[in-house]
Amino acid sequence: MVDPNSVNPVFESPITSTNSGSAGTSIGTSADQAALTLADESSLTKTLIRAEPRTKAERQLDVVFGASRLVDGVVISGQRPSEWLVIGEANDVSTFVDRIDREGHVSLVDHTHSRAMMRLTGLDASRVLEKVCSLDWSSEMTPNGAVVSASVAKVGCDIVRNDTFRHGSALASSAPTEVIPPSYWIACDRSFAQYLFDAILDAGQEFGLLPA
Amino acid sequence: MLLVPCPHCGPRNASDLSYKGESHARPDPNSATAEEWRSYLYMEDNPAGWLRETWYCRSGCRRFFVLERDTATNEFRNPPVPGAKLGGKA
Amino acid sequence: MSGEFKPSRLGPQSGEVIDRSATIRFTWDSKVMTGFAGDTIASALMANGVRIVSRSMKYHRPRGYMTADYWDPNGFVQVGDDPNVRSGHRLLEPGMTIDPQNVWPSLDHDVKAANGFVGRFLTAGFYYKTFIRPQRLWPAFEKVLSTFAPGGTVDLDTPHRLHDKRYAHPDVVVAGGGPAGMAAAIAAAEAGARVMLVEHEHHLGGHLLWGSDEDRALAAKMRDAADVAGVEILTDSTVTGRYEDNWVSIVQRNHPLAVERLIKARATSLVVAPGLIERPYVFAGNDKPGVMLSGAVRRMINMYAVKPGSRAVVLTANADGDAAVADLRDVGVEVARVVDARAGENVASANGPGRTVESVTLGDGTSIDCDLLVTAVGWTAPTSLLNMAADRPVYDATAARFFPGGPIDTVLSTGGLTGDGTVEQLVEHGRATGRLAAERSAVAKHRIQAHTARAAPVSGDEPAWPHDLRAALGRDPHPELFRSTTHGIVDFSEDVSSKDLVGAAAEGFDSVELLKRFTTATMGPSQGKLETVNTVAVLAEARGETIEEVGTTVWRPPYAPITLGALAGRIFEPVRVSSIQPWHEANGAVDILAGAWKRPEHYGDPAAEVMNTRTNVGIIDVTPLGKLDLQGPDVPKLLSQLYTNKWMQLPVGSVRYGIMCAEDGVVLDDGVTARLGDEHYLMTTTSSGAATIWEWAENWLQTEHPEWQVHVTPVTTGLCSINIAGPNSRTLLGRLCPDIDLDPDAFPYMHVRTGTVAGVDDCIAWRIGFTGELSYEIHVPSGYGLHVWNALLDAGADLGIKPFGLEAQRIMRLEKGHFIVGQDTDGLTKAPSTGLAPLIKLDKDDFAGKAELGWALDEFASAESKAPRLVAIQPTDPTVVPHEASQIVRAGTNEILGRITSSRMSPTLGRSICLGQVAIDAAAPGTMLTIVLADGTRTTAEVMARHAHFDPEGERLRG
Repeated sequence: MVDPNSVNPVFESPITSTNSGSAGTSIGTSADQAALTLADESSLTKTLIRAEPRTKAERQLDVVFGASRLVDGVVISGQRPSEWLVIGEANDVSTFVDRIDREGHVSLVDHTHSRAMMRLTGLDASRVLEKVCSLDWSSEMTPNGAVVSASVAKVGCDIVRNDTFRHGSALASSAPTEVIPPSYWIACDRSFAQYLFDAILDAGQEFGLLPA
Repeated sequence: MLLVPCPHCGPRNASDLSYKGESHARPDPNSATAEEWRSYLYMEDNPAGWLRETWYCRSGCRRFFVLERDTATNEFRNPPVPGAKLGGKA
Repeated sequence: MSGEFKPSRLGPQSGEVIDRSATIRFTWDSKVMTGFAGDTIASALMANGVRIVSRSMKYHRPRGYMTADYWDPNGFVQVGDDPNVRSGHRLLEPGMTIDPQNVWPSLDHDVKAANGFVGRFLTAGFYYKTFIRPQRLWPAFEKVLSTFAPGGTVDLDTPHRLHDKRYAHPDVVVAGGGPAGMAAAIAAAEAGARVMLVEHEHHLGGHLLWGSDEDRALAAKMRDAADVAGVEILTDSTVTGRYEDNWVSIVQRNHPLAVERLIKARATSLVVAPGLIERPYVFAGNDKPGVMLSGAVRRMINMYAVKPGSRAVVLTANADGDAAVADLRDVGVEVARVVDARAGENVASANGPGRTVESVTLGDGTSIDCDLLVTAVGWTAPTSLLNMAADRPVYDATAARFFPGGPIDTVLSTGGLTGDGTVEQLVEHGRATGRLAAERSAVAKHRIQAHTARAAPVSGDEPAWPHDLRAALGRDPHPELFRSTTHGIVDFSEDVSSKDLVGAAAEGFDSVELLKRFTTATMGPSQGKLETVNTVAVLAEARGETIEEVGTTVWRPPYAPITLGALAGRIFEPVRVSSIQPWHEANGAVDILAGAWKRPEHYGDPAAEVMNTRTNVGIIDVTPLGKLDLQGPDVPKLLSQLYTNKWMQLPVGSVRYGIMCAEDGVVLDDGVTARLGDEHYLMTTTSSGAATIWEWAENWLQTEHPEWQVHVTPVTTGLCSINIAGPNSRTLLGRLCPDIDLDPDAFPYMHVRTGTVAGVDDCIAWRIGFTGELSYEIHVPSGYGLHVWNALLDAGADLGIKPFGLEAQRIMRLEKGHFIVGQDTDGLTKAPSTGLAPLIKLDKDDFAGKAELGWALDEFASAESKAPRLVAIQPTDPTVVPHEASQIVRAGTNEILGRITSSRMSPTLGRSICLGQVAIDAAAPGTMLTIVLADGTRTTAEVMARHAHFDPEGERLRG
């Protein structure tokens, strides 16, 4: 018998099937070429930070509710009043989180396993979202960097729009004439992840959405 | 569908929130008479006009808050004194 | 003159919308016919000489096309498996099988028409008079109704067809694509607004389409301009409703991928521009095939190149009637007589011994042979969307129609609805309306954007609210023409005549809302578009009052009927699974849907799963168990507030059970909470209560006690939860937990430890006993859940490990007498009824439900208590398992004493066991109960002394 304690556990994404949607009507044949993609990014490290107003931690985070920013390789998302989600690679997140001042009423919860994440990218991304969510996805109402919580295909989700930056680094600046496609991080409770992934893929079929 | 002006998120569809009913102060459970307590549990003023209500922004910011609404026109306004009362009885 | 004339296809017309190069074959009533692409079913049938398309609802009178558009009350047909298709609107498609409906045995020889019984039975108000009583006749009523009620055939095997849904946030929605609507859309888009232009018909243009060549050229020019301006154009789509804050529902019928698509649009401004709907005239024989409205005749000639008759009489009161005369003459139809209503001339009846019009009798008694009678007697203003915005239309006798009542800030109207004018004047009014809508939308959007947390910052102050400076359209005088000297049909789809209305008014149903409901006039598929004003006019005449005095009915959603498919739209049914679900599915699990959770009910044999767990060791995936991470110095205060028992002194490393009650004292949830660290706790709730209890906790923290420092975070699926139960569970877990001391003295019952399980750090393990066995519940980070599950199976192979499902767990908990909130309790069960009165600590300062529970405990202790008791019950016959919800009655009577709330065959005890709620006088141990079984027979059962049927002392779980 193999000693189970000697086995190195490997993180498993809740999205186990990325092609369960029916065949897309896209012109592109593979996700590489597809202009509109849905990617599983569940394995990213996510730490939830709560800090009451006027704590040092709040000043360190320096992101208001509804906004996000990239700092030291992690994305800080102001997803509720006095509540932030820090997203990135494990080392970057832990480095950042370790620096957070814990004075006052400040708490941390590791959300890596609680929240699944997918990324929807492409010029038609907001048209896909219009089919599964009742919010206004125009750039005036939901600009690059915006953070909002809403029901997506009847699942409560936290959404970050970040066309020009990802965890790790800002995207290489595109040629000024090139249109940067919108890109959305959609985080949901892990248990809903496969359902939501399939539901978004299905809704995006008419625009040629493909799993990445 | 009604747009509810969440003080944190901004206007949201009413289906994004849950309505917690009229905003009444909770009586002291140690001194309230049965009549007072049950009036708190079950009785509503239900006016045709301005009403203080507790809402919970369930799909959005997950905050409880009080708004005043004219039940005849569905116009909203911020209450003079903010601060939500316990919404719903469970 | 007879009805033998065959209407036929004309030579090419300058405004035709048909494509003569694309011939389409179809069948009508089993006869093969041809039409052209662009034809509606109606135009194709008329071009093929079909004059009778249906039989009327009640009297089965032959009917032909009257308006030949969406609203035609006579044009409902069956297309393949699709019933009630509006043939005046639906486009012809190759291979369509089109059949008449509501006929038997055939369209030409309908038996029901000859059956006088039908007419007598289905008089006005018959629903009310006939169906009130006696109740025992209902089956007979139903039979009569199903035979005679109209409608096509529903094919239950019809394949599923995709219906879709989307949301939209246009700045301006324009409902109606005639000249004014198009102009409004263009002007709004040019002013920078995002515009959605929705046209009910297949083409933009409205009445320009059947007007002059100049009219059509203008329509084409405006279509292009709308495109260039970036207007989103939806044709064959209907704005079906306007709700609070301009929430607008649109049904799109011509989407390439879906049969229909429902669009839920939040329009900052709404422009209502539906135009006008031509009104039928009420006179004897007005429903005979061959009586048509002027608009129908002009559409048929100009858009579809169909000759509607050979010899016509035209009753005209306006320019449109005059234009119909010209159109008819242009295509060679003999106009035998123009009856000018403006000169006081009138039509008294349309006659013919046959099924179609053969002659017309004028008001002065003159009779004229003809096969077509065209009427042009005025308009109905379809103010529906304005009504839905609380507008109340006002009647203007001079113009003989209703007009919008008053201005609404973000709901503007334009076009024929608001007044009359030349095409240029309508376009100008439309443009002004579009500009105003865009300006107001910009102000409203500025306000919304400024108040929305996530939105881009707005620049500058909010602009001033733009005033309505539009020049109003004029109102052309028009004679008031509703009913002739004779009686005729008012509501063609419901077969209600003016005589029925007069009779109903005489019976006392003389308010318009009552009359409508009593006679069903205006309640058919035309939704009052053709019938409302005539109904009001007939009632006004009967009451000897004016139309203003009678008033009109309120138009509510929908503007046009909506299919159930469109309402269902794209259906979202979320399903939740744990990380271990792939293993369950690969290993023969039979799933059960518990709320949104899909989880194993069993793996083939739940009784064997019970026995294995009691004998060896079993594992169950209990991930759906609600879990809340609680942090902060004031967690004990929150726990004390939520639970009925005490929490201020829970030591680190301990687990405690508690029940929660609502403010009315009713049991809300139960579960255990562990103290993991000084200011760190993990609460578990029932699976179904997880969301409720999170919200309940936030409710207390945010409203009553904002001064408490507690952070509540749901971690239900962040932690994959596995219960390890059975005599071998300690041995098994010991093999995988190098850093947790499992010795019973070091890790006793109701305690918690954290450590490593199967190489996974940060796992939580606690000893509890829902199954009644020695058991550990472990919570591991979900990304490693499947790994730990597999590790347990590997490590326990020699210990007899087997997975068990929800059913085995339910059996074992019932053997132990543990109740399940919501199963053994209900919406009236206060905490004392569960037998857990000792957990209600009234000496605490406060907790949810305290006041009610104080009174409940007093009441519970009194001899007159009406509160039910939860008790364990064992049927006398151990093989009888009364189904859950079986009634418990007093022996020999039907007096209900309670009910069985849970029941199972216990594999451990080899007998049936139950929990049940019973009245106080039947709750004493040893009481013999009578249970009514599903088949009505009765059996006896005994009330047990304790809830636990098995191991009542709990020796196994404390081992």
